[in-house]
Amino acid sequence: MQINLTVNGKARKTDVEDRTLLVDYLRENLRLTGTHVGCDTSSCGACTVHLDGVAVKSCTLLAAQADGCSVTTIEGLAQLNTNGTIGQLHPLQEGFKECHGLQCGFCTPGMIMTAADLLKRNPSPSEHDIREALEGNICRCTGYHNIVKAIQWAADHTAAPLLADHHVWTNEVAVTV
Amino acid sequence: MTNFFKKMSNKFIGQSIKRVEDKRFITGKGRYTDDIVLPGMLHAHFVRSPYAHARVVSIDMTEAQAMPGVIAIYTGDDVKDLNGVPCGWQVNFRNGETMREPKHPMLIATGDTAKHAGDPVAIVIAESKAIATDAAESVQIEWDELPAVANPAEALKPGAPKVHEQFPDNTAFDWSLGNPIEEVDAAMAAAAHVTTLEFVNQRVVPNAMEPRAYIGAYDEVSDKYTLYTSTQNPHLIRLLMCAFVLGIPEHKVRVVGPDVGGGFGSKIYHYTEEALVTWASKQLSQPVKWTSDRSEAFLLDAHGRDHVTKAEMGFDADGNVMGLRIKTVANMGAYLSTFAPAVPTYLHGTLLQGLYVTPKINIDMTCVFTHTVAVDAYRGAGRPEATYLLERLMDLAALEMGRDPAELRFQNFIPKFDGVTEPGYQTQVALQYDSGDYHPVLERGLEMLGYADFRAAQKEAAKTNKLLGVGFSTYVEACGIAPSAVVGALGARAGLYESAQVRVQPTGKVSVFTGSHSHGQGHETTFVQVVADKLGIPMEDVDLVHGDSDALAFGMGTYGSRSLAVGGSAIIKSIDKVLEKGAKIAAHKLECAEGDLEYAEGKWTVKGTDKSIGFGDVALTAYVPHVYPAGLEPGLDFSSFYDPANFTYPFGCHIAVVEVDRETGKTTLKRMIAVDDVGNVINPMIVDGQIHGGLAQGIGQAMFEGTIYDENAQLTNGTYMDYCMPRADDLPMFETDRRTTPCPHNPLGVKGAGEAGAIGSTPSVVNAVIDALWSGGHQVKDILMPMTPERVWRAMNN
Amino acid sequence: MDLTGSHTLNAPVATVWAMLMDTDILARIVPGITRLEKTAENEYLAIAEIKLGPVSGAFTGTLSLSDIRQNEGYTLHVKQNSKIGNADATVSIALNALDDAQTEISFNGNARLSGLLARTGQRVISGVATTLTKQFFANFEQELATDPATHS
Repeated sequence: MQINLTVNGKARKTDVEDRTLLVDYLRENLRLTGTHVGCDTSSCGACTVHLDGVAVKSCTLLAAQADGCSVTTIEGLAQLNTNGTIGQLHPLQEGFKECHGLQCGFCTPGMIMTAADLLKRNPSPSEHDIREALEGNICRCTGYHNIVKAIQWAADHTAAPLLADHHVWTNEVAVTV
Repeated sequence: MTNFFKKMSNKFIGQSIKRVEDKRFITGKGRYTDDIVLPGMLHAHFVRSPYAHARVVSIDMTEAQAMPGVIAIYTGDDVKDLNGVPCGWQVNFRNGETMREPKHPMLIATGDTAKHAGDPVAIVIAESKAIATDAAESVQIEWDELPAVANPAEALKPGAPKVHEQFPDNTAFDWSLGNPIEEVDAAMAAAAHVTTLEFVNQRVVPNAMEPRAYIGAYDEVSDKYTLYTSTQNPHLIRLLMCAFVLGIPEHKVRVVGPDVGGGFGSKIYHYTEEALVTWASKQLSQPVKWTSDRSEAFLLDAHGRDHVTKAEMGFDADGNVMGLRIKTVANMGAYLSTFAPAVPTYLHGTLLQGLYVTPKINIDMTCVFTHTVAVDAYRGAGRPEATYLLERLMDLAALEMGRDPAELRFQNFIPKFDGVTEPGYQTQVALQYDSGDYHPVLERGLEMLGYADFRAAQKEAAKTNKLLGVGFSTYVEACGIAPSAVVGALGARAGLYESAQVRVQPTGKVSVFTGSHSHGQGHETTFVQVVADKLGIPMEDVDLVHGDSDALAFGMGTYGSRSLAVGGSAIIKSIDKVLEKGAKIAAHKLECAEGDLEYAEGKWTVKGTDKSIGFGDVALTAYVPHVYPAGLEPGLDFSSFYDPANFTYPFGCHIAVVEVDRETGKTTLKRMIAVDDVGNVINPMIVDGQIHGGLAQGIGQAMFEGTIYDENAQLTNGTYMDYCMPRADDLPMFETDRRTTPCPHNPLGVKGAGEAGAIGSTPSVVNAVIDALWSGGHQVKDILMPMTPERVWRAMNN
Repeated sequence: MDLTGSHTLNAPVATVWAMLMDTDILARIVPGITRLEKTAENEYLAIAEIKLGPVSGAFTGTLSLSDIRQNEGYTLHVKQNSKIGNADATVSIALNALDDAQTEISFNGNARLSGLLARTGQRVISGVATTLTKQFFANFEQELATDPATHS
């Protein structure tokens, strides 16, 4: 069947098998492999994307159910430059790096997409709010400590003065303890 | 050995440098094996045994073979010429009998017997994953189901179902270590108090978030294979697969471990699927990919722990530990996995002195086969089991003797030793600890806890329905595995060194190749910090290459908290060679003697002058050797192998505070304090992160995780809906601190931090619940892990 | 998994026995069974659709009766295979005439599960077994109520 979606701002028209899951469509048809599959029971949250602005587990939806919708994946979260390269990162992306909120990186896209949904609903969440919001996402590396801190960091920095600063990838900022 | 820290500029070392690898992961550009698509790639799905023990009577593939898009189906008959997956460690019986090592076949052939649920019978290869899955489900197998056993203690009983007909007692080997049993019996008989604990260290599942994935690709023209694999050690996989399983020449095989989504031990081992996709890609001259789903991961990835133990610790009237007597049955699973025999023996038995002066110790291990998937190293590998045993006994003994558990530990700690002014500390169980200073970690832990205030609050809480408890755990572990000659003498079939190459490019930029493999540990940052500091150049000028067997001669990979201690040391050796040769070139250019030069801040300077030459100029000269020392080879590129002199011995103190609801039995972890001494630290942020992750896994074992097998040896909680893993709202913020006792025998003075969190935390949490229960008048000795509310409630209401 | 239960039916023992030996009726009243075909004396091909919590599947297999004692009971052996795993159950069924119009039917046995069924189904299976049992007896009573004449 044919489906029409907007993915990361681009209109897409694709023929897919009826049974294709949204996550498989994103990974295999569009080659957006930042969205991961960590389980087969919709328990781990590694496949979380935004569907019309709301966080969903893309392994629980058929691609056909997303027909006509707008999907944002981890690849579409940062602001892109006109040439398609990564421009300004989302505060959560910076927060995860600043606070060492990731190790192997596999759960990270899902964590960031879930957290982005939380911050939209609740711009200044408490530690408790954050931990509850992450209940559907499993991380095996970090013990969640630094993920919680990363989301708090992002909540504190949405006003963006730091984001304008191109420090993130240089050692000068990196060595600030 | 010179202390590397003292002679370095340390611009980066010791700093919490943000990780350079993060950019690709936070933007969705990480590249894991399943993300890779090769032209013409086919997809595999395995037909597996639904039974834990059953004979294949017949296989009917007619329907599956006829399905459009199915390219090939191979069964055991097609691969009968391939060898089994080998075991990498041999531990013989104490009477000298050879370790029993059943063949671990690629596929179970008709007439043969599946030994655990998930044992593969056929590999179906098709144009898409969906077709392969559909076709695999259409393969009809007639099974003759046989009785099965999952529990290691049950497997030893007379009449238990046999895993391998040729080994009727289900025993793989037995083993003992320590002082003669008579001496230990005498020490225990003379003891004023003996604390006895019979317990189970339950089986847990590693659960790396990225399921295993492999792509085998054979190129007919060059007769060369490439295997992409989610592994912790690409070279080791290449060696095992080429030399032992497929019998193909190693120089014709490239193994790439791209981004890997966590391992925790489970991705050390060579698995049958790796060899089969590689083999099948040659049969079909097309790449073949297999990605495990989570259900398969539960069935097939090697599990951890699974000990059934009786332990006794004897004390004199003053509370000094006099003896320790241990009898344990350890589960090996159906086949011996890569490092399986080493885990309950040399990684567990040797750590059973802990950090206490214990005059007499005897350990009696029996390692048994069961109808379950293999048990092998899982984060900590043997050391968590050893720590659990010792630390449960210490806290319980304190309760039984009316002593303070912290005081009892202080009294029994091995006194401080630095491994420099004396040779280290020789234990009763073979190891010689390198350096240790145990009082400060517990002192700091008590300070962070606010011990006196806590005990007061606990007394108040005991009057309510919410009991408070504190649990202690002080551990020592062995990392940086290991001197090759030592492990060789103990049965390892591999050396356990590491290799590194430092290639200085003509412009002075540096490519570092390491045999260590980063799958979350942050090597691309920490290793670069070390190299940049040692060479006095910016971090941006250094790149780390890992995970590709074609890029580096050999490597042993990442496990056992060994990467920095062993792999980092190999890098230092190569850097020393670069600087030594660079000095020759610099001396020639500056027209002085090498001895007149000193190297700092990225340049060689003639001592006492302002005459100098930069690292980049020397590099360029090495590759454009027009004005050059006579007889010196061009180029600036050195490889090294580093074989450690000893294990490293990190130690620390973990303290858990819990609240137990008397009405429901629900435990809430209120605080988790960890004070670890992992030697020198290159990047505190990353070390803290490693500790956090380990703590979560250790707490997970205490409170949430554990396999449940039914009477037919079927795993009944093999999904994330059924197997409980710690989630964000189950854990508190962790309170961490460090003390530093440098390793005396490696150039960085580092010990390793990857496993410490998982090693110390588990007993502290269980001890805390026991302590809470005693405070409420329930004198309970043990609660089976995971400590579910039901189990805690029953413990209080028995 | 143990399967036990009992229920009192408002019918004489001969009626209940006749119904238990009638494959058409069994196919109607056993929950999940969509087809039951006789393949040999006391042996049947059975096709079932069953949902066990998160997993559901079409099962094919055999159903056989042994130890048949008229008006007293028999042993039912069900072996079912599916893409999600196999099930193998042995259940002994006993009838007890309470009086001329009432019969107690009781059963006792166990089922063994394998494959995905074992891994994901067992968490909910005792609940499912209870539901299926209730359904079976409800169906039995309905069958008795609809056309008691055919059962005498």
